Amino acid sequence: MATQLLMAKSPAEAAGSKTASAAFIAGGTEVNRLGSEVPAQAETLISLKKCSGLGQIEKVEKGIKIGSMCTFQQIVESEIVPDYLKEAALFMASRTKRNMATIGGNIAALRSDSYLLPTLFAVCARVEVLTPDGKQDDICVNSYKEASEAGKDMLITAVIVPDNVKVVSKRYSNTAQSHAVLTMSAAALEKGFTLAGAIKNCGIYRFKGFEEMVRENPDISEEEAIAFFKGADSLKISEDMFGSEAYKRYLLGVTAYDFCRKLAGKEV
Amino acid sequence: MDKQYKVVHCTINGKKVERIVDVRASLTDMLRNDFRLTSVKKGCEVGECGACTVIIDGEGFNSCIYLAVWAEGKEIWTLEGLIGPGGELSDIQQAFIDEGAIQCGFCTPGFIMTSWEIVNSGKEYTDDELRKALSGHLCRCTGYENIFRAVKKTMLRHLGKFEEAEKVNSQGITEYPEPMPFK
Ligand SMILES: Cc1cc2nc3c(=O)[nH]c(=O)nc-3n(C[C@H](O)[C@H](O)[C@H](O)COP(=O)(O)OP(=O)(O)OC[C@H]3O[C@@H](n4cnc5c(N)ncnc54)[C@H](O)[C@@H]3O)c2cc1C
Ligand code: FES
Ligand code: FES
Repeated sequence: MATQLLMAKSPAEAAGSKTASAAFIAGGTEVNRLGSEVPAQAETLISLKKCSGLGQIEKVEKGIKIGSMCTFQQIVESEIVPDYLKEAALFMASRTKRNMATIGGNIAALRSDSYLLPTLFAVCARVEVLTPDGKQDDICVNSYKEASEAGKDMLITAVIVPDNVKVVSKRYSNTAQSHAVLTMSAAALEKGFTLAGAIKNCGIYRFKGFEEMVRENPDISEEEAIAFFKGADSLKISEDMFGSEAYKRYLLGVTAYDFCRKLAGKEV
Repeated sequence: MDKQYKVVHCTINGKKVERIVDVRASLTDMLRNDFRLTSVKKGCEVGECGACTVIIDGEGFNSCIYLAVWAEGKEIWTLEGLIGPGGELSDIQQAFIDEGAIQCGFCTPGFIMTSWEIVNSGKEYTDDELRKALSGHLCRCTGYENIFRAVKKTMLRHLGKFEEAEKVNSQGITEYPEPMPFK
């Protein structure tokens, strides 16, 4: 149970203080929720609020670089953040929460109903990280997920997203405030079509098999898309209060098909 | 491990204050327990309902998921701070009464703080934007329409659009005179 709080003044101090019994806290919208497991498991919280240099949004060679402490509202109001990321940030319907929640916190939370990760996966966003021994790295968001799930301690310092790419996204939930059963994004990148999704209580995925199918045959039919997800055995999808397994697979299929058409400029 | 305490200096409703707080305490707890500002409601404590909303440095925050120690150097406003020196209600509070936007009243302080931010922003929100700006608040009683109308009318009055404010109908829609029928 967290009883200590360290107000880190720099990213180096924050990253250097990260041990197995410590956890970062950014906007606190996940960590400070009643019943959150983060403070229950950590002894020390390392607050990033006073860390210098994590709050800028700037244009860089590879796209737009967003400091990990930038809030969802800053992203929405920025003049240089691409619209597709603003759309994903607006999936967080509450303005007061948007004033608090950060992009770094959203990535690190790795929630299966993540607002931003499907979009960041689809555009192959880069994540700048700092390890406890002071090593800086620039890794793809998918590698961040794998490393984090393997227990590696890393402070996210910034996220780089491409500008000038066509992206489509959709979030399925009962109300704007409810948890989403499915959040999906697709992008038309130089290397081709990409598709990612966050399935509540299952996980966040890049659907590489589907991507390959579309690259081979851009004119797939809706039936083929539905059949793909119906038969995608590697995707472990369970039935829960958000819907049956068949319903979730069907949603994946029809949404993926819609995205293919939209990115190709066809009517849906 | 021992609990850790920190001194927090901030301005609450225009007054400079200082308090020693447990580093784990939420701003809701500090405002309610240490300053008796009980307009700050504890609804869900998970950031879902907006009942605990306060204004920090000009923007609305869910104080239940905001650490009290983060308030260091900040300017905080709660509903108590909107009341005038003689106990007069602010225009947004009065509008909530006039429009019947209150029933049990539990969600009201939070709604009013966000509304206060909206009406003082100097911006004219569209109906859609207004609904979205209020969407971080849950109300189990009113059905939202009266709240929406109270905020819209006050926003228009702040912008000097008094006549337009009077034309906001019971559905919150601004009614304009019927166009002349074609002869
Ligand atoms: C009512 C409610 C509903 C929500 N619904 C959703 C939802 O549908 N989808 C969703 O994605 N989220 C949801 N959230 C969770 C949360 O609001 C978001 O994920 C938010 O973006 C987290 O950002 P934060 O800055 O508040 O993170 P924090 O709460 O501060 O931290 C979240 C996690 O990230 C770690 N962390 C924070 N910053 C960094 C960093 N720079 N580097 C490494 N690790 C870091 C923390 O240790 C913690 O594990 C919800 C929260 C609430 C209160
Ligand atoms: S009590 Fe804070 S959002 Fe519900
Ligand atoms: S008036 Fe009762 S919850 Fe809103």
